[in-house]
Order: sequence, then C-alpha cells, then structure tokens
Amino acid sequence: MALTEVRPLALPSGDSNDGYTPTGVFTRPTAETGPRSWVTTVDHKKIGIMYGAAAIFFFIIGGAEALLIRMQLWAPRGSLLSANLYNQVYTMHGTTMVFLVVMPIGAAFANYLIPLQIGARDVAFPRINAFSFWAFLGGGVFLNSSWLLGGGADGGWFMYAPNSGVVFSPTNGVDFWNLGLIITGIASLTGAVNLIVTVLNMRAPGMTLMRMPIFTWMALVSQFLLLFAIPVLTSAQVLLMLDRLFGANFFNVAKGANPLLWEHLFWIFGHPEVYLMILPAFGLVSEILPTFARKPIFGYPFIVFSGIAIGFMGWGVWAHHMFVSGIGPISVTAFSLTTMFIAVPTGVKILNWTATMWGGKLNFSAPMLFSIGLVTMFTIGGLSGVMHSVSPMDTQQTDTYFIVAHFHYVLFGGAFFGFMGGFYFYWPKVFGYMLNESIGKANFWLMLLGFNLTFAPMHVLGLQGMSRRIYTYDAGYGFEFWNKVATIGAFTLASSIALFIFNIFYSKSKAKNLPPVGPDPWDSRTIEWMVPSPTPAYNFDPIPTVTRVDDFWYRKYGETKDGKLVRIASTAEVAQQRNDGKGVHLPSPSYWPIVLAFGLPIVAYGLIFSLWLALIGGIVFVAALYGWIMEPPDDPDKAHDDHGPEAHASDGGDAAVSDSADAVKEVETVG
Amino acid sequence: MQRLPKIVRILAVISFTVVVVLFAALIVNSFQNSGKPLSSLAPEGPSAESIQRLVIPVTSIAGIVFVLVIGAIVFITWKFRERKDSDPDEFPSQIHGKTTLEIGWTILPALILAGIAVGTVLTIINLNREEPNSIQVQVAGQQWWWQYKYDVNNDGNFDGPEDITTSTEMVVPAGRPIQVTTTSNDVIHSFWIPGLNGKRDAVPGLRNPLKLQADEPGVFRGQCTEFCGLSHANMRMLVRAVSTSDYDGWVRNQLKDHAADPTDPVAAEGKKVWLALCAQCHVINGINDVKMKETKPPLVSGVAPNLTHLMTRGTFVGSIFNLYEPVSSDGSPLLMSDVAAAGNPGAALTGGKVNTATVNRVTLEAWLRNAPALKPMYPQGGRGMPNLNLTEEQIDQLVAFLETLN
Repeated sequence: MALTEVRPLALPSGDSNDGYTPTGVFTRPTAETGPRSWVTTVDHKKIGIMYGAAAIFFFIIGGAEALLIRMQLWAPRGSLLSANLYNQVYTMHGTTMVFLVVMPIGAAFANYLIPLQIGARDVAFPRINAFSFWAFLGGGVFLNSSWLLGGGADGGWFMYAPNSGVVFSPTNGVDFWNLGLIITGIASLTGAVNLIVTVLNMRAPGMTLMRMPIFTWMALVSQFLLLFAIPVLTSAQVLLMLDRLFGANFFNVAKGANPLLWEHLFWIFGHPEVYLMILPAFGLVSEILPTFARKPIFGYPFIVFSGIAIGFMGWGVWAHHMFVSGIGPISVTAFSLTTMFIAVPTGVKILNWTATMWGGKLNFSAPMLFSIGLVTMFTIGGLSGVMHSVSPMDTQQTDTYFIVAHFHYVLFGGAFFGFMGGFYFYWPKVFGYMLNESIGKANFWLMLLGFNLTFAPMHVLGLQGMSRRIYTYDAGYGFEFWNKVATIGAFTLASSIALFIFNIFYSKSKAKNLPPVGPDPWDSRTIEWMVPSPTPAYNFDPIPTVTRVDDFWYRKYGETKDGKLVRIASTAEVAQQRNDGKGVHLPSPSYWPIVLAFGLPIVAYGLIFSLWLALIGGIVFVAALYGWIMEPPDDPDKAHDDHGPEAHASDGGDAAVSDSADAVKEVETVG
Repeated sequence: MQRLPKIVRILAVISFTVVVVLFAALIVNSFQNSGKPLSSLAPEGPSAESIQRLVIPVTSIAGIVFVLVIGAIVFITWKFRERKDSDPDEFPSQIHGKTTLEIGWTILPALILAGIAVGTVLTIINLNREEPNSIQVQVAGQQWWWQYKYDVNNDGNFDGPEDITTSTEMVVPAGRPIQVTTTSNDVIHSFWIPGLNGKRDAVPGLRNPLKLQADEPGVFRGQCTEFCGLSHANMRMLVRAVSTSDYDGWVRNQLKDHAADPTDPVAAEGKKVWLALCAQCHVINGINDVKMKETKPPLVSGVAPNLTHLMTRGTFVGSIFNLYEPVSSDGSPLLMSDVAAAGNPGAALTGGKVNTATVNRVTLEAWLRNAPALKPMYPQGGRGMPNLNLTEEQIDQLVAFLETLN
C-alpha cells in the first residue's frame, strides 16, 4: 500500500506560487461561512450535509405522496385521486424514494464518513464531489418540476416498455423521469468513482483494507455496485429517450422490438441497486452495535466478505424480477437458485450482528434501538425475499402487495432504520450537539409501530390477492380491513418522522445550555471519533497512524489475553484538539461544479421543449468545463506545512485541557 | 443512565404489544380465505395446489427462522441489557469472533436452502409439463380487457372458421387441462387466476404458456397484475368453469354467427344504431367480421371486444360489471364484486333464451350513455370506448338489440 504513504493533498511547502495570478471569474471563491460557502464548497463534510438535507427534503415530498396513496386506498373505490393522478403519484413516490432519498442518504453518510473513517482530509476529487451533489440536486428538482409542467411520469418506477412509449404515455412525465434520472445517474457515477479512488488511495498510514471500519467497507462495495449498475440504466434510458423524443424504435413492438430488452436492462441495474441501497445501512449498524454493546463486532472479516459476496452475487439474480415475464423454465430455475443462495451471506450478517450483542452490555440509546430495529425488520424482509426466490411461489406473489410489503421491510425496515440510527449516532459529530435521547427513543417506538402497522398487513393483502399499482379496489374482496390498518399506520409513521424533525430543532435550541459534546460522546471505536465535534474543516491534524481495527478504541483501552478490557487512556488524552487550521492545506472552493451541474437540467428541458434551450444548456456546460480547467489549482496564500504524523513526536494530540475532559464525562452520563 | 420519561416507556410498551398482536392477527388471518375470491392461499386447481404444497413448508421454515432470530434478539436484549447498578468501568468479555460458528451458520442456511431448492426445481418441472388432451386457448391482453381465442379444431391456428374468438370471460370445462398462451396487443399485462395458477405476463410479441385447470365448476376471478396504464386496476379476468356438457353446448353456440335480423322492431332499430356507431370498433360475427378483418383496426389495442355472443357472458366491460343479476339494490351502476356472485347468464350461456328480466339494464344503459364516466379510459388516443352521445331512445334500441346476442 505504498500509495497510502503519500498524502496527495499536502503539496511540498511553498511550492504552489509560480507567479501566475488569476483574475475575474478565474479566481477561486474564499467564503468559509454563509450561503456562498455552501454553494462553492468542495468540503466533503458540507457536501455530505447537503446530500442529507436534500434527501430529507425529497423524503418529505415522497412521504406526502405515500400518504396520498394510503388515503386513496383507505376504503374501496376511493375518490381522492383520479386514476391518472394516482398512477403519477405512485410512480413519483417510488422514484423519489429510491433515487432521491435512500441513495442520497447513503451518499450523505459515505461522503461525510469515508474520509473521516480512513483518516483523510477530503475525497480524492473535491470539485467532482461538489459536482456530483449539484447534479443530483439538479436532476431531482428537474424530475419534480414535472408536477408543474404537465404532470409526473405515469409508468411506475420500473417504467416498462412499451407502456412508457409516447403512444401510451403521451404527456412529458416519462421524459422528465427519464432525463432526470440520467442526470442523477451521472451524479451517482462521478460520486462512485470519487469515493472508490478515495478509499483505495487516501487511507491514513497503517489503514490497510482489513483495518477499515465496516461502514467504509460497505460503502465501498456499494460504490462499486453503482459504478457498474448505473451505466446499464443510463443506456436503457438513452434508448428510451431516442424512442420518445427522436422517433427511434428500440421498444416499438410493431417494428420487431422485444419488450423484455427493457426489463432485462432495468433489472440488471435494478437488483444491484437494491444492495447498494441497503449496504451503507448495514455498515452504519455495524458501527453502532459494537459501540453500544461495548464489544467488538463479531467476525469482522466475515461481515466484510459477506458484504463483498453480496456485491458479487447481486449481479446474478436480476431475472427473479421476471419470473412470470416469459423467460423460460431454464432461466427461471437458474435465477431461482442464485436468488436463494444470496440469502446465505445476508444471513451471515444478521447472525454476526446478533452474536455481537450476545454477552455484551447493551445500552439502549436511540441509535442502538434503531439498529436493533434494522436487524429484526430486515430479517422479516429477508425471509419474505427467500419466499420469492421459490419461483413457483413468486408467480402467485409477484406484483401483489406481498412484494410491496417485502421491499418496504428491506428499504424502510432495513435501510431507513439504519439511516435513522446513523442520524442519531453521528449527529453530535456532524453538528456538535446531541439529539434528545428521550425524544429519540419515542421516535424509535413510534416509527416501529407505524412501520409495522403500515407494511405488515400488506403481506396478507398480497397473499389474498391485492394487486400492486391499482388506484382502487372493490368491496367484496376482503381488502377493506387491512387497508384501513395500513393507512392508520402510514400516518403514525409520518408522525414519527415529524417527531424526528422536531427533535432536530428542539435539541438545537436546548444545546446552548448544555456543555459541548466533546469528540467522543458515545465512547466509540473508530477514528472519526478522535476529531473534535463538529468536525473541523481539516478533519485530522495530525493524520493518525492506524495500527488495528477499531484503532481509536484501542488508544483508550487495552485488552488482556483473556479478553478483559483495561482503560489505558482517557478520551481527552487520545482525542485531537481543535486548532486554528492554519498550516493545513485544503482544496479551495470553486464556483464551477454548480455551474457545470446546472447545465445538465437546462439541456434536459431543452430536449423536451426546444432544442435551442438545449443548445444554451450545452454552452453553459462547456463554459463551465473551461472555467473548471482554467481556474488556478490553489489559493497561493494558503499554507502548505507538512502535517504528517512524522512531523509530530506523538500523534495523540497535545495534552488534554481539563475543562473539555469534564465536558466529555458529562455527556457520557446522558442516555 | 438517565431515567426515561414515563410517556416514552408507555409508548414503548404499547408499540411492542401492538406489533406482537398485529403479527399474530395477520398469521391467523392468512388462514381465513373464504369470501376472498382473489386469495392465492385457497387453491382450486392442480397447478395452484402444487404451488401451495411448496408454500406450506417454505413458509413454515421461514416462520421458524423468524421466531428463532427474533426470539434470540429479544432474549439477548433482555439478558444483556445494561443494568442500572452496573459499574461503568466494567466491560463485557471481548470476543472478536469464532470461525467454527461462522462456518456453521454459513453452511446450515445453505443446506436448508438446498432442500428448498430441490422442491422448487421439482415444482417448476411439474408446472411446465404440458398436459395431454389440453384445450388450447390464446389469451390476449389489451387496454383494459382480455380476449380469448379457442383453437377448437386443434390445428394450431386460433383464427380459423372452426375456432372461437370471445372476450371478458373464459369458459372452460371443469376437470380438464387448459393450455393457455398469453400475449398482448399493446403493452405488457399479466394474466392471473390465483385460485388456479400463478400469473403469467402477456407480452406483446411473445407467446407465454400457462396451465390452468379447475377441479370443480365455479367462477374464478383474476386481476391484471402488470401495470398496464390508466385503468390497470379495472382490468379483471373471469374464468367460468362449467360441466363438460355445458362446455360442449357453449362451444356449439359460440361457433354460430348472428347474421339474421332481429324480429323485434325495437331491436331491429338497435341493429341500425349498432351498425352506424358501434361497428366501427366492435365485431359481431356474421354482420361485420369480414369487413373488420379487411380494414385496419382503429384502436391502438387492435380491436374492441367481440360482441357476437355478448349475452352468454355474466359480466361485461372487462368483467368489472355484472351483465346479469345480481345487481345493486339502489339501482346505481355497480362493479361486479360489490355483490357476492358474478352475474349469471343462465340458459343463455349455451345459447338458450336470454332472460331479459335478469339483465342488469341499469349498468348497461349507464355504460352506453357515457362509458368513460364508469371506467377511466383514453378514447381520444384510441384506447377505450368514447362517449357516443346516444339519445335515450337509441340506448333503448341498442339494449334491445344487444339482448338478442345469445
């Protein structure tokens, strides 16, 4: 790992000012606070926060769509939404939740945490990181602007051909869907490349791959899945775009097209997509459970390798979405078997988490509760997944509410519970104040209640024959009771989300009167907890040298041969102090990522409404590329002192200041 | 540890209890399938039964694993919880893992899954084996109804003069295997009769096989399960399994056409209206079938339902409305499933006289008056029936004519 020994962000001191003085738009912005600093930032932490904030904004939109769906299905022949509007609402609900909520929350955690967990000061390509975020936001806003410009897409998030064709869906909704997701796909791709390079090249000294925190591992696997899955979707979408906007015939059955082409392409993307959405949450839980069990994760290498195994096997199961579409019994058998056996590595994870808790000293903080929630709720989703892998059973279950129940147990009970745990766990690290624990626990129990009330009845509804994607159902099928329960559950779930948002503002207002949280409020294990909270712009100063898994934990505790822990240092002694950040070289902010990214939606509007507009968007895009290239690499006034570990006698930071040590103790008693 | 406010503890207890009760109620409810005509858990034919033979063991295994895992987690969270009086400096024993355990819980699930795999493969083979002496039926979906073509003379062609083209209801003899081939005339649909077998997508350009067989005479319902656009929710199927003698009578009647003019003068006027307006899309064999084959179908979907033997069907409009009693008591147009039973054509099924007293005139007239008001459609794009702006007199004449189509 020779590359890790070089810290690419630290140029040799005083080497950057070669006499070139940029002017005008080619100077780099310098704001470090205020709105402008957010627009021009290339800091992975600010970008991570923006990913999270944007995702929560879209989550509220997608959640409102979910509530509309549940209100429509409250009773037989609901009349709240017309058939046409319902089809748009459920399509946009699925699309929003997948592409604009779960994926970006994963990206938020990955952006914020990966550099911190591997001991880096930023990602490998900070400007591309900013571009990824702005392209995602632009794509998401573009997609949702369809509501104001003739209505949303109405073909389902899977957008099967030929129903997505211009003959069957003549409004522009599908075009917005198609082009919007091409833009967010570009964002995902650039983000994936960036994070993969970051993990492979920018780890701190001593941070070998098998010493990386599990979250970083799982996020890495999911970035690889993104890297290979997104291009497949984008290719399919380009074909659809050519069909819809330029009269091509890729999905025109009358001209000999086979509609299964779209199904295959979509699910070759779509199934890895499922795993890349869930893996970051698995990673978060693997950080949280050991912290609150006061024990190391059980079977670190097995958890890592089962994650990698899921990543590989995830490519061989896509056609289980197509068991009834006529792929023939041989294909059905093959995909049935591969799907069954992907349950093995998933099961290994569940059992390892359970074993991590076994024999521990479990502290039921809010993050811990959400993590245990993930393990249990995901188990249900995993087991119903095994039931689908039995293809004859799947022919009865597919496209019914049983499937809706299944994937909500995976994506809400799995991914989102993990994200909630991650929010509560990392909130003090990110924002410097704790979320209220009592509200957090109420948040968990309300969410568990609402989630199960909403989605558990859908298992039975599906088995008893309720189809998916129907805007209405009739009396006489026995669907009434459980639909009412599900609707009540949906509002309970919504209230738990409202409680979470309330907690953010409530805790922030109370935090003024509380002592600062200190770097390590939970007595955690990995090195992101040795930096001050909130994390300073430069992350680490100095960069730590890592000697083992859970490096920070073993700076605080020693372990005897028989597995007993002995405290060897207080947190304050081993945590890093906040310094003025002078002398640490950081990448400079830039205007160009946002300009470049916002060229894309202009092109997309142009493709739909007028090619002249597309031309303008193209000019913006190319101009931004020029600006990107021409701007100076650096602010010559910034210092370039070498702050590597070798520059310090000890990388444990300076001696602790006594009042901050007290603050840490104070916080440890909370919860 | 900070003590939790009472309200949070109460919420936790309520939440936990409700979830446990909910799961128990759902498990009990999944065994209660009477009065649930779309339930996949009440098989009434050999294919559905062979799937059900897989459902029981697989669900049981999943249930056992569920109870073990959740039970273990609940037990662990109770047993290893941090006690209030515990010493904050005391730590549990630090176990990093155990390879034998890991190998064990990798192999054990794999073995269980291998067992499930054997049963799965055997069932797949069983479900795909073609039965000898099957009746060949081609099922074509279009927005938003189903067309059925019977290869009566078994020559591999569904459009010969000896073959039957019908729609809305699929009539089959109980106890005899039906080899269905699904296809579509526009977008992807999915043909699903949960009581008889799993579903099979109807994909334009493809011909997908599906076996059906009903053990006993009866009415089996289905619902399109692949999203197919605006009125996907209103795309229903109905399989009417009848005795072998009734089936033979039905086939004989279906092979007749309706060339003769009605004797009733009102119905004769209705036929004129029909020819002027309805015949642009619909077919009645013997009246306009030859012409329809020559002209390009006006609909994106191909054609509108063949109405030759309309009154032999108990339901209409893609089986969402009853064509015969029972009807709603308040006279409002109602969906088929608002009443316990599907409409019953009685003797008309096999070509007998239509009992006009039992015809659901209210809904039929409402449909003719303004079809798009009863079912979301897209007639301006050639998909679905438009509002023809008929006068009340024309509607009466049309109904009288349609009632002659036994």
